[in-house]
Amino acid sequence: MIRFFNVSKAYPGGQLALSDVSFQVPRGQFAFLTGPSGAGKTTLLKLIFREEAPSQGQVLVNGRNVSSLPPSKIPYLRRTIGVVFQDFRLIPRKTILENVSFLPRVLGMEREEQKRLAHGALSSVGLGSRLGAFPLELSGGEQQRVAIARALIHQPELLIADEPTGNLDPELSREILRLFLEINQRGTTVLLATHDRDMIRHVGGRVLTLEGGRLAGDDSLEGSVSMLWPKAPAQAEPTEEPEADGQEPAGDGA
Amino acid sequence: MTLAKALAYFLREALQNLGRSWRVSLLAVATIAVSLFVGGAFLLASGNFGGLVEHWRQERKVVVYLEPGAAPEAAEALRAELEGLPFVRAAQLVSAGEARSRFLQLFPSLESLVDQPGSVGLPASVELSLRPAGSGGREPPAGWAAQLEARPGVDLVDDDRDWVSQLTAVLAVGRALGLCLGLVLLAGAVFTIASVVRLTAYLYSDEIAIMRLVGATEFFIRGPFYAEGLLQGLFGGLLATGALAAAFELAKARVASTLWGSMLLGRFLSPLELAGLVAFGTLAGLAGAVISLRRERLGAAEEG
Repeated sequence: MIRFFNVSKAYPGGQLALSDVSFQVPRGQFAFLTGPSGAGKTTLLKLIFREEAPSQGQVLVNGRNVSSLPPSKIPYLRRTIGVVFQDFRLIPRKTILENVSFLPRVLGMEREEQKRLAHGALSSVGLGSRLGAFPLELSGGEQQRVAIARALIHQPELLIADEPTGNLDPELSREILRLFLEINQRGTTVLLATHDRDMIRHVGGRVLTLEGGRLAGDDSLEGSVSMLWPKAPAQAEPTEEPEADGQEPAGDGA
Repeated sequence: MTLAKALAYFLREALQNLGRSWRVSLLAVATIAVSLFVGGAFLLASGNFGGLVEHWRQERKVVVYLEPGAAPEAAEALRAELEGLPFVRAAQLVSAGEARSRFLQLFPSLESLVDQPGSVGLPASVELSLRPAGSGGREPPAGWAAQLEARPGVDLVDDDRDWVSQLTAVLAVGRALGLCLGLVLLAGAVFTIASVVRLTAYLYSDEIAIMRLVGATEFFIRGPFYAEGLLQGLFGGLLATGALAAAFELAKARVASTLWGSMLLGRFLSPLELAGLVAFGTLAGLAGAVISLRRERLGAAEEG
């Protein structure tokens, strides 16, 4: 799903954000991207949805070389990727229904269809009954759920998240992480950037570590998802779909 | 998204933007309205004045004033001779009595002036209507009027064409000045609209960044801002034409009886000219929006 080939990124002024990074994330995998602040996590994610272009190397997303994508094609790439940020990036003056139905509106869908899709996406994150609420009326966790619903509305094959729990307390962080794992279990490839080492240790799975712009580690950790479902651990076992054994990724972790 | 749907969306969003920041939008609309009003007023005045000059030019009248006491037979002989010239369409003899009657008809209050003791009265004259310009070698030869004036019995030859040419030059200068003033004001209006649109884009930069994030195209993102500038120009144009019509009627009611009033307020702008004025304002508004967003990549996501 994601392939980086010797990717480097230098910003104007010569600041090197990424240096010779190579890895791949197979389709359907859940992977963490970690590293200290300034390690290059955000830059790496931006290269995936083409907010930035690499200075060297190639980035392939779903088989498409996004490095050489002309500007006019970038919107179409982004419609295949869901993106979630630490600060939610919701529009305060619009209801959550309007926030989530942005993409269907961009695509020119009928109003009823926009509403149906937005309702479906919000229901999938447990907010189906709060369509008319405004973002600032919601808790941080709920706002992040709305952002996730927005990212999921077009059922992307790839979901990338940049510190999605960075602004949330531990309980809400677990709630959001659980949501990402459930999304992954439905077949969506997830790449989640975080510097929360404890979270990664508990959950385990594929872990890409950046340090100083270089890929310092590519590991597969053992974890226990039970910490995410303390009240109903039975629900956490996605045994019906072996390949979606979320915490132990379906991919080989290469 | 179909073009019709996109345009409907642009207009809806633009109207919302105008409503949200109505004060600055009003300023932009007023600025463009003022510039178009001034431009339209110049167009109106120069159009009427130009029409008048053109009418005079087409009339091409030359009046040959005879010396006081000229014999009617000699005057008639001169009229007949002048009428036979190839560039003369018609020649009419106006006797001293007819001249007096005309004068008193136009200026009844000045009767005492022509009837005062010792006055020689008004002279008889021969009024010549020349054939229209450009009708094939029909122009009077150079120096013709001077030669005519030098003839015995002729006191003065008044050739309208001389001062019509001077008026034409004045009109051209006036038009150029009006055009310059209108352009300067329009440039100011375009700049104002550009600033307002840029301000709106800045206010909604977060929203624009999100639109870009979910895959909105540049056309979709910029469309509402272009529509906003276009609407500001359109409203400014409509306001200007409405104000022009009101000002015209008001001025006509007050000064139409004066010489300048009758010269400059003969007719209002034609529907085509009004439509052109509104279209010009609309295009200026659109230009302002395009200029304001030309170099900007709206709402690019921040580096995290």
